[in-house]
Amino acid sequence: MFRNTYDSDNTVFSPQGRLHQVEYALEAVKQGSAAVGLRSKTHSVLLALKRSTGELASYQQKMFRIDDHVGIAIAGLTSDARVLSNFMRQQAMSSKMVFNRPIPVNRLVSSIADKAQVNTQEYGRRPYGVGFLVIGQDNSGPHLYEFSPSGNSYEYYAMSIGARSQSAKTYLEKHYESFADSSLEDLVRHGLHALRETLQQDKELNVNNTSIGIVGPASVHEKAVPPAGPFRIVENEAVEPFLQTMIAKDTATGAGAVPPAAAAATGDEDVQMAG
Amino acid sequence: MDHFPTNWGRPRNDAYDAYGTYPIAQRPQNNPKDAFSAGVQHTQQPIVTGTSVLAIKYKDGIMMAADNLASYGSLARFKDIQRLHAVGNNTMIGAGGDMSDFQYIQNMLDELMIDEFTAQDGLALGPAEIHEYLSQVLYARRTKMNPLWNSILVGGFKDGQRFLAYVDLLGTTYSASTLATGYGSYIAQPLLRKAVEGREDVITEAEALEIIETSMRVLYYRDARSLNKFQVATITAEGAKISESKSLDTTWSFAEGIRGYGAQTQ
Amino acid sequence: MTSIGTGYDLSASTYSPDGRIFQVEYANKAVENSGTAIGLKVKDGVVLAVEKLVHSKLLVPEANRRIQTIDRHIGLATAGLLADGRHLSNRARDEASNYRETYNSAPPLKAVADRLGLYVQAYTLYSSVRPFGISTILGAVDKDGPSLFVVEPSGVFFGYNGAAVGKGRQLAKTELEKLNLAELSTREAVTEAARIIYLVHEDAKEKEFELEMSWIGTESGGVHVHVPKDLLQEAEAAAKAALENFE
Repeated sequence: MFRNTYDSDNTVFSPQGRLHQVEYALEAVKQGSAAVGLRSKTHSVLLALKRSTGELASYQQKMFRIDDHVGIAIAGLTSDARVLSNFMRQQAMSSKMVFNRPIPVNRLVSSIADKAQVNTQEYGRRPYGVGFLVIGQDNSGPHLYEFSPSGNSYEYYAMSIGARSQSAKTYLEKHYESFADSSLEDLVRHGLHALRETLQQDKELNVNNTSIGIVGPASVHEKAVPPAGPFRIVENEAVEPFLQTMIAKDTATGAGAVPPAAAAATGDEDVQMAG
Repeated sequence: MDHFPTNWGRPRNDAYDAYGTYPIAQRPQNNPKDAFSAGVQHTQQPIVTGTSVLAIKYKDGIMMAADNLASYGSLARFKDIQRLHAVGNNTMIGAGGDMSDFQYIQNMLDELMIDEFTAQDGLALGPAEIHEYLSQVLYARRTKMNPLWNSILVGGFKDGQRFLAYVDLLGTTYSASTLATGYGSYIAQPLLRKAVEGREDVITEAEALEIIETSMRVLYYRDARSLNKFQVATITAEGAKISESKSLDTTWSFAEGIRGYGAQTQ
Repeated sequence: MTSIGTGYDLSASTYSPDGRIFQVEYANKAVENSGTAIGLKVKDGVVLAVEKLVHSKLLVPEANRRIQTIDRHIGLATAGLLADGRHLSNRARDEASNYRETYNSAPPLKAVADRLGLYVQAYTLYSSVRPFGISTILGAVDKDGPSLFVVEPSGVFFGYNGAAVGKGRQLAKTELEKLNLAELSTREAVTEAARIIYLVHEDAKEKEFELEMSWIGTESGGVHVHVPKDLLQEAEAAAKAALENFE
């Protein structure tokens, strides 16, 4: 690794006006497995790649429900994500209690962004090491936001974060104009295709390593979803019908029946907090 | 344990030394319970008060009325107090009870609306949210034994929906198509119910005004803390509006014949 | 920048031997790296405009605002680190709200700028914090009429008739100086502001950007709001046309 005088402290600007500690925190997000988010006029969806540290280990949780109308997918330090998602839940509950109103999604995202900003300016802290994709619906329809450790938050039509997310981004940039009028099934399929771009050579999406988060009315593949279309996480066998809709890559990698991705994923684990 | 032997063996209510027979320092229940109890005092009664507020649902929205009087005890102290207050474009509140507490509530809500405005995301608090917020504030204050001494009507019109609900110093809430606070809840509420219930969707604005004015007149006759000068607010799709102060024709000639009221001596 | 690496530039609480505070100067660098923001104080109002650099085409247009509202009648535009801008605008809201609570009247802009200057200055005193990496333009129409201030990372603030911060500020200032601001109407100022932002963006032509504008004046009912869409488009079209004539 390189080392320079201005990178060991988050309270120090480099002569170029950069904050190296914040930039390193953004790298921590890229260590986590990828998550993809997309939005249409009626739905927002999240798709995430779960990792497991070995055959005896379960898969790391990548999605969290915040409230009936909001959910997140994470990439980076899971423990930081748990702290922030807990805070988001408190904000959501407080809005329900005080105003009897589901918290507007943009304000929820801003609230954690403002928290993250403080960690980039004060001594004795470190920036959060996790990025979120946040989906939710409110009066103005479905939304997709990205939150990052720099304290920034942006609203997107589609976005990806985490390891090799650039490949997914390239896919999304190619197709995003069609998302607005997509059906939920098409939206998820695009999401799976984008997520597939982040996989390593010999890996494939399967029911174990894929999580799907949805807000909006139910899909034909879902059962017992209330009409309001609250946030839900689709996992395990329930993912299968969605995986079936994928169109095989026409490349020569032979994306047919490749063995499950559970096999040792060395050097590819989520970054863990010490201790 | 009561360490004053003179209090031992007495019935409890007798422990109160009604005639001051003991030296001050020894008088039962005359000792401060803690050193600061005299320094920390909570609201135990309203001081400058407003009387009833009336509100009904009608075809186009909500109509609300309150007079302009703030009383100091039985003294008609201030005769130009506005007891209706618009909160944003879709909501109106009207309050009886302590007027300084009401002014505090107005400031608090104005501040809240500025916070909402500065978010610049096109989302605004509607009547239902304001009512929920008020009920939480009033309930929280009463659990601290320091209530905001008001009973408040919240009326509104948003997204094609009428809203009308009540909240008071205890945090009690309810909702109906006609509501009245204070003296009006005894005198005007039956009249309002009779005129409005079941007809909420047919009553025109002119008709609603007539219903409100009839009730305000009755209240002025019957309520000694009322004033024949009041304002009427409407909250409709066009927004929240408060009228200029107005008064009604009343007849008091019958009072001549009432013993102890008119000029007769016998 | 001869003192780089001498150790005198690692903390806001350290002077260099020649009496400079390098951390504050570096914070100014962060401002210079960002898109330009300008403010115009004219006859009957204030206009704020920002050159918002678009880092991805997946961004939802108009959703990610760089201009904030502080009070009904106060707007704030920043150049520099976006997250710092949000921190400072939250603080400005608190100050405005505190002023209202104390004096029960709308805060004059000078009072808010003054308090904000104090706040920013406090972040230049200690090694335990870094200065704000933003310059802030505050605009308002208050009881004394239109008013415009800039708060810099050092905590100093000045009143202006026309202000520019960020990468293209030199060119923008030259353009602002050509205008007769005191005679301009707010509506005319919107057109001029759009033209200036388009002009300064010429230097970074290859990057996508979005023009964001807000105003406070009689036409906006004395409150700070974003410029209506049709007027914004009109101003953008005029700016593009002016740019072609300029060349």
